Amino acid sequence: MNHKDLISFAADYFPMLVRKPAPKYVSESGNRIHGMVAEFHETPKVFHAAEMVRDAGYSKWDVHSPFPIHDIETAMGFKPTKLPMMAGAAAITGVSIGALLQWGTTTFLYPTVVQGKPFDAWEPFVPVMFELGILLTAFMCIFGMLALNGLPRFHHPLFSHERFYKVSDDRFMICIESHDPKFDPSATRALLEKAGGTDIALIEDDD
Amino acid sequence: MSQIAANHPAPDITALSDEQWAHRLESFAKDARLHEDNISMPKAVASKIGLPMLVVGLLMLVVSAIGIFSVSFSHTLAGLEIGIFTILAISLGSLFWTMVFHALNAGWSITMRRQFENLASLVWIPALCLIAIAIIEVLNQGVLLTWLDPAVREGNHLLEVKAPYLNANFFIIRVFIYAICWIVLSRLLLGWSRKSDETGDRALGRKARFWSSFGIPVFALSTTFCAFDFLMSLDYRFFSTMWGVYFFASCALGSASTIAIVMTLTKSAGKLQGVVTNEHFHDLGKLVFAFIVFWTYVTFSQYFLIWYSNIPEETMWFTARREIGFDWLFKVMIIGHFIFPFLVLIWRPIKRSPKLLSIMGAYILVMIALDMAWIILPMLAVQDPSHATPKISEHLITVASVLGVVMIYGWFATMKMTKSPLIPTKDPMLHEALSHKNYV
Repeated sequence: MNHKDLISFAADYFPMLVRKPAPKYVSESGNRIHGMVAEFHETPKVFHAAEMVRDAGYSKWDVHSPFPIHDIETAMGFKPTKLPMMAGAAAITGVSIGALLQWGTTTFLYPTVVQGKPFDAWEPFVPVMFELGILLTAFMCIFGMLALNGLPRFHHPLFSHERFYKVSDDRFMICIESHDPKFDPSATRALLEKAGGTDIALIEDDD
Repeated sequence: MSQIAANHPAPDITALSDEQWAHRLESFAKDARLHEDNISMPKAVASKIGLPMLVVGLLMLVVSAIGIFSVSFSHTLAGLEIGIFTILAISLGSLFWTMVFHALNAGWSITMRRQFENLASLVWIPALCLIAIAIIEVLNQGVLLTWLDPAVREGNHLLEVKAPYLNANFFIIRVFIYAICWIVLSRLLLGWSRKSDETGDRALGRKARFWSSFGIPVFALSTTFCAFDFLMSLDYRFFSTMWGVYFFASCALGSASTIAIVMTLTKSAGKLQGVVTNEHFHDLGKLVFAFIVFWTYVTFSQYFLIWYSNIPEETMWFTARREIGFDWLFKVMIIGHFIFPFLVLIWRPIKRSPKLLSIMGAYILVMIALDMAWIILPMLAVQDPSHATPKISEHLITVASVLGVVMIYGWFATMKMTKSPLIPTKDPMLHEALSHKNYV
């Protein structure tokens, strides 16, 4: 994650803190361009189109579909998610907090005789270490997943595109975003046309 | 009404029409992956691994036979029991997995199911050994099972109360019942599976599913009480309701680990190419990982409750072991049976690599044997304090006995593989296993 990604990541949550970088492309009405969408009518077509976009070297783009498509992740060239690592870090943190909290309190701060057991016995710590490990891991899985997806958010530029609502019904769409380093209005349009996309359109960011 | 019947067929009816089934059989016949060479194990290939195992196994058993005279009969018997319970765990676990796959109509595991069935049908080896051990124990009036000793029973209130269960006759009867249950169940399942290879009768899978559902409770009860009889009653004062689950955890874990080894060796012999893929290993690895955690959960719960409630006849089981020189084994169990394999198997690439998974499988089998050693060996020292600091010769006898039993079992397993195709060739859901893929 380079610093630009980090800034745009922070901007999703704290828009008041971050000045958005100047847009690379603007529309005739002066709004920034979010990206370019192309429509597809059949699953195999969008699948092969995704492979073409992947091979062309784009990185900031997505496929929208009314239902899950098997193997689309290889066609899109997804890299393995960082979420497991984040969850693992959360698990280690949870287990450590559980251990330190109990060990510190029962051994040093408030040593209390309970049933004649040793103050520093590790056995009673295990359930709390386990539970805290699970708790933080679950939190990281949910909130980490939301953060990596840029959620929650109130609006998305794609919703301003009337035809986009068809992706919940009978249409597939590929959207290549304008902050992709390879994005170029004419070259991207040519690629999407070659991939078999119809109704290619530029989407304005209207916020 | 016919729709309902198709969705909930009776055991002898399947939802597949004759035409669909004939079409599916045709597609199996055309599939290059299901060619004879790819799914059968010739004797010459199997004996490359099998014969060395047989030789090593026999040598080790000779060594342990020497141990009877040079060390002590009870020590050798304890060593053999560790091995026998390791292979019993593998066979019973395979029986369990076979029945679970049938009961849940599992599609992904079909290309591996024949090996589970093979290992399960080898349950007669440990079962016969257990019968022999039971008879030896009764005839010698308790070698390891001290409650059979009349001198111990004399005026012992606890054994008087427990006498309706812990008595020689009932003990022998129970062992025979367990053996019959396991052998009949495993024979039936393997028999139906092999018969469907020949006849292509798709109703046999239904039958297996129907009887597996009844087989699982039979398996659960017989395994639990067998663990009570041979392992828990080593110390007749001790009791734990978790004991059956504790042994079952080793069963399911040992079986999945062994299948990982079997599959890797089969694939490295050039068989099952494209039939058992990394996707199958991935799911097998998940099972191994899950049961590592399950074993830990059960074992720790048992220890934790005993530690907290602090009832003398329960805590003594642990304190005795830890005070007479087996504390190292306690630590090995925590680190070697949980922390290390947990941290290794949590990585996806390791589960997806046949080689790495089978290495972990072999390691876990060693851990299961050590777990059995932790249960069985310290009882020798409790009975006779001279065993508390084992001599090197005693260690050698233990290792030789365990290796001997496991290696002979391995030879039987390789021979079993040559007797039928390596997969159920005409299972109605074989296509699901052939195209199995993990989408996560």
